Amino acid sequence: MTLAFKPDETFRGDYTYRNSDAAILRFPFPFPEDRYMYSVNIEPHTRSGPTDVFRRPFDVDEHYIAECRDKAITLERDPSRCQALPHMMLAQWDTLELLMESLAADYPAHFALIKEGDDFGSRWTWINRPLGIEQSFIFGNPDTLPCEPFEYITRQAQGDFAICDQRDNNLFMDAGMVTSQADWSLAFDVGMSFMEWHGPVPLAHQAGVFERALKFLLMLRLGQPMRRLNWTMTINPRLDTSPESYPEWGPDRASLTPDNIGRKLHLRVELQTLWRLPRSNAILFPIRCYLASLDELARVPKWGARLHRVLSTLPPELVDYKGLTRFLPTALDWLAAHDDGRELPIGIEPGIATLTPR
Amino acid sequence: MMISDIKSRPIYRDLAPEPTASGHLLVVEGETLTPALLAAFASAFGPVAPRLHIWLVGGPQDVGAHPGRLWRLGSLADVEDSLSCASRGFGIGDRLYVSGTEPFLWRVAEAAGHVGFASGQIQLHHAGSLRRRVWCTHCHSITDDVTTHIADCAGCGRHLLVRDHFSRRLGAFMGVMVDAEAPGQVPAREEVFA
Repeated sequence: MTLAFKPDETFRGDYTYRNSDAAILRFPFPFPEDRYMYSVNIEPHTRSGPTDVFRRPFDVDEHYIAECRDKAITLERDPSRCQALPHMMLAQWDTLELLMESLAADYPAHFALIKEGDDFGSRWTWINRPLGIEQSFIFGNPDTLPCEPFEYITRQAQGDFAICDQRDNNLFMDAGMVTSQADWSLAFDVGMSFMEWHGPVPLAHQAGVFERALKFLLMLRLGQPMRRLNWTMTINPRLDTSPESYPEWGPDRASLTPDNIGRKLHLRVELQTLWRLPRSNAILFPIRCYLASLDELARVPKWGARLHRVLSTLPPELVDYKGLTRFLPTALDWLAAHDDGRELPIGIEPGIATLTPR
Repeated sequence: MMISDIKSRPIYRDLAPEPTASGHLLVVEGETLTPALLAAFASAFGPVAPRLHIWLVGGPQDVGAHPGRLWRLGSLADVEDSLSCASRGFGIGDRLYVSGTEPFLWRVAEAAGHVGFASGQIQLHHAGSLRRRVWCTHCHSITDDVTTHIADCAGCGRHLLVRDHFSRRLGAFMGVMVDAEAPGQVPAREEVFA
């Protein structure tokens, strides 16, 4: 498949990021029912799903070039967004291999990988046409790449990546490339165990959700990746909503009005996938971020109405944790105009094949 | 932003020596050592006293009766040096017990990790002040001896809300700018970690 990239759009400053009609229709809308349900909602990451974003191991979309540029800007300003503890080198190569092979197989018009062998010591050539990169290197030898292998490949991929080392019946976040996160700090969390890095999440600890999730993840199998959706809301189409840069984006939360909220408030959905890595036995945890404004979402009638209903039933702890307190009433007023009360089918698919022109 | 029931905060317990361990090292932050705490150590460590070494870091000149052999160290830096230079080294049969304020506990625990102590060989006991070491999430500086729920960052000067989210690696709590969303609106400070 050939993508029409939008290389000049921005995720900061003038915020020119927009979704095409096709991008809206493939959006991973996260709410299958009218009521908010708190659950792990994990399922196999097969090549199928309710919209197109689910159908490839690593989704590439029209925002690819612009997102990679935004990531480079963030890393330039704060190199601590990419870290790998010393024992993670094997997992770094595992990640590079998985991403290069997947991208080359699913997007042959845009990426190619030429291997002279599968094992460490083999000469590989990587071609990334959208970013204009051609790189030959020796698989397993970090000195033959311009930076460490994990940073090298994740600079060329949309979304964030964490690698969890597995030991002592636990997972430890021992590497990460984190430039489009929903308000958590890699520099603070690196090295933490599973329960520690989830420490701030409300409600789920009491429900035993994390014990069950950890037990499940420790048994994750090679070749059987899993996925789940997570979500929050972000003012402006901003990828870098890190705690590090909170002084820059925090004031935006007080800037919403009934007139601008449709354009400025975005549903931020994370497609999180989980991959057992073959050599290191670590788990790769990609967190791919999708943004759509209320204006864009409401062009799908089912989604506008459902978002109104789900946000009306959100527990107060989650309203606080997700940072929605200041503007949720304004958002609900805006969304109410898109909810006529009719019955909506279960499921997250848009239910329409084309959008009505605006 | 609320201060919630955050689970990354460690839970500390009274020290309980493992009788079958081959060596016992108790590292105590001297200024937190009260007569009552010393009596508790004497009772708990009595059965293993022949194999006990106590490293007392700063604090009182006259300790009085105590179990095991007592060594005096001037500062935390001396603990770190002594751990890495201990001539016979430490083995998997040895146990480390640390008692003091939270920043003290985690600096000793980190230094012990560097010389090969596994987490299962280390017990931590909180004593003394609840003051916190705070890590600024914006400039990544450390501010020590924080006793209020809002503190000025020693690095960038921002007013930080001290959260309960804790990093063992940094031995510090996370601090987040309290007035980012409404600049200048800083709540009154309360002494909560005395």
